[in-house]
Amino acid sequence: MIRTLRNPAVALGALCCTLFATGTALAQQDKGKAVYDKVCVACHSAGIAGAPRLGDAKAWAPRIKTGIDTLYGSALKGKAPAMPAKGGATDLPDADIKAAVDYMVAAAKDGGSGAAATAPAAAAPAAAAAAATKPRPAALSFNRLLKPASKRNPPPPEDGIHDPQNDGTHALQPPLQVFESLPRSNAGNRVDWVKALDNNLIAPRWDRTDPAAAPVVMDLNIVREVKGSMPDVVYPHKQHTAWLDCSNCHPQIFIPQKGANQISMAAILLGQKCGVCHGKVAFPVSECRICHSKKKNVMPVKNAQAN
Amino acid sequence: MTGSASLRAALAVPLLAIALTVGLSAESRAEYADVVLNRNAEKEGMRPVVFPHWFHRIRFRCKVCHAELGFKMRAGSNLVTMGDIIDGRFCGACHNGQIAWAPENCDLCHSGKPGLPPGIFGGHETNGPGIW
Ligand code: HEC
Ligand code: HEC
Ligand code: HEC
Ligand code: HEC
Ligand code: HEC
Ligand code: HEC
Ligand code: HEC
Repeated sequence: MIRTLRNPAVALGALCCTLFATGTALAQQDKGKAVYDKVCVACHSAGIAGAPRLGDAKAWAPRIKTGIDTLYGSALKGKAPAMPAKGGATDLPDADIKAAVDYMVAAAKDGGSGAAATAPAAAAPAAAAAAATKPRPAALSFNRLLKPASKRNPPPPEDGIHDPQNDGTHALQPPLQVFESLPRSNAGNRVDWVKALDNNLIAPRWDRTDPAAAPVVMDLNIVREVKGSMPDVVYPHKQHTAWLDCSNCHPQIFIPQKGANQISMAAILLGQKCGVCHGKVAFPVSECRICHSKKKNVMPVKNAQAN
Repeated sequence: MTGSASLRAALAVPLLAIALTVGLSAESRAEYADVVLNRNAEKEGMRPVVFPHWFHRIRFRCKVCHAELGFKMRAGSNLVTMGDIIDGRFCGACHNGQIAWAPENCDLCHSGKPGLPPGIFGGHETNGPGIW
């Protein structure tokens, strides 16, 4: 069923978007295995007609020595006597065949460990360094629930929501490529967007067409006293009006009058009030100190007790 | 609104929820604030649409989309059609071949995995719909 759904998209995509068909190495991993499993497996699994078998380090070593370009060439154009051009699947794009070669070469380098069949992830040439350290079972990882840094901001084909089968997916920009040059934060997409804007590292337009239009930033802080031990909340209009229009908040989310709104963490966590944006697009609720930023003045309390 | 008593009562649960949600986003891998739009796309034989907030907020302030172009701040609440887009509304206000590339690049927008429900993805930590 999925197949029939995809077909029109693939056909249309191929028609309009050949321009964008610039796959990344990482994205090729899955594709390489997929092509191998569909086409090359017929001969390269059992070693038909002398084909070097997948994961057979000895059989592949001398071939790998001839260089990856030679191997690409053999795979694309065929090699006498029995290796047909593109393994017979002449309708596949060159990139797919190359991905399959990469997959087979990486499997050969893993050869003998038996990991070849289960660890196609090592197929990307870029992963060569990572391959040096044997992966431990996930159950033994240091953090069980906290996401390790290496798993943050994956490129689109690996992020779990983009379809790696889609050519366009591989043309999208991987977030890390951009985030590396932006100031860091500890949560959300780990970018401090307020700093990025203040330091002029990004220049998002205020008007759809006019790059020169500037927002009227309103510098008005509203302090909301919090009962209990948490520091008071300072709501800053400045950072918000730099991004948003008054009508984004007033009057639908907040009545524009100090104290006229009941706000609680319960509501925020349910996605209301500040939670309309925070925890969804703006920095998330885990960063208590950014909102709860005003230390309580403890002196008067002590005095009161002393009296 | 509701009385403060019921709010108080509701508090215990969400404060617990803070503790639980903070940092427990191991499962979600998509980029923070990616939105999937899939009201009709898949029914009509196209992949779901993935809209990346991070990419667009580098280029535009929130106000441009959420005030000028009329995108409501609530995932799934905007009925966007290709007809609108080609007529220059919603995504089409920019994806018109002048501000950004034209709608003919179907697979850059229609890039989601088949079967994804509409909604915001990627380690978001507050639940429920926006109210805008
Ligand atoms: C009909 C059987 C067959 C199929 C299908 C097939 N191969 Fe081969 N392949 C061979 C044989 C036989 C050889 C050994 C050729 C030789 O060196 O004499 C070979 C060798 C190769 C080599 C090494 C070439 C070199 O220069 O030493 C590569 C790389 C390769 N195949 C890739 C592929 C890929 C990728 C596919 C799938 C797209 C594929 N093959 C499908 C039979 C096949
Ligand atoms: C306010 C203008 C604007 C609106 C509205 C807009 N976009 Fe964009 N979009 C852009 C610009 C500018 C680019 C960058 C174009 C370029 O790279 O040439 C872009 C790029 C993209 C990209 C490619 C990102 C990448 O990795 O290169 C996708 C996907 C996308 N938009 C999807 C959408 C969708 C889906 C919508 C509607 C829900 C939408 N956009 C609405 C301006 C807009
Ligand atoms: C991100 C949401 C947001 C945006 C955008 C925003 N405000 Fe507010 N505004 C608030 C909140 C929250 C309060 C405090 C309400 C309360 O204390 O109950 C507030 C309070 C106010 C007040 C009352 C101040 C007082 O002392 O009584 C005024 C006036 C106001 N805003 C004007 C504006 C104007 C003008 C703009 C646009 C330039 C704007 N706001 C943009 C969230 C916002
Ligand atoms: C309409 C969306 C929206 C609402 C509602 C909203 N915010 Fe924000 N807020 C943002 C955006 C966007 C930023 C910019 C930083 C980011 O994206 O992480 C921001 C930034 C901030 C900052 C500045 C952080 C810094 O690094 O200087 C504080 C503090 C803050 N918000 C508190 C609040 C509080 C408290 C409320 C509720 C009373 C609230 N916000 C409601 C969108 C919103
Ligand atoms: C987006 C801004 C924001 C963030 C982030 C935030 N809070 Fe709050 N918090 C508020 C606001 C606004 C109130 C309501 C203050 C009032 O009563 O006017 C509040 C109130 C509270 C209260 C008082 C009880 C209640 O629910 O009203 C507690 C306790 C609290 N927060 C704890 C936390 C903890 C713990 C964190 C971090 C896990 C956190 N908050 C993160 C904005 C925030
Ligand atoms: C280029 C256009 C564009 C820009 C810029 C943009 N958004 Fe959005 N936003 C969208 C679209 C499209 C949706 C999804 C609407 C839907 O699903 O119907 C959305 C959804 C949302 C939602 C709803 C999430 C939910 O869970 O319901 C929030 C909140 C939001 N945006 C906040 C922001 C904030 C804050 C900014 C600025 C930092 C911003 N957006 C910038 C286009 C944009
Ligand atoms: C700028 C991004 C963008 C591009 C490019 C784009 N679409 Fe869409 N498309 C959307 C959005 C957003 C929707 C609404 C998704 C939803 O809620 O179901 C949509 C919906 C659809 C639908 C559902 C029915 C309808 O008409 O609304 C079809 C079919 C469709 N698109 C086909 C295409 C085709 C074919 C192309 C290429 C010619 C294309 N799209 C290019 C963003 C885009």
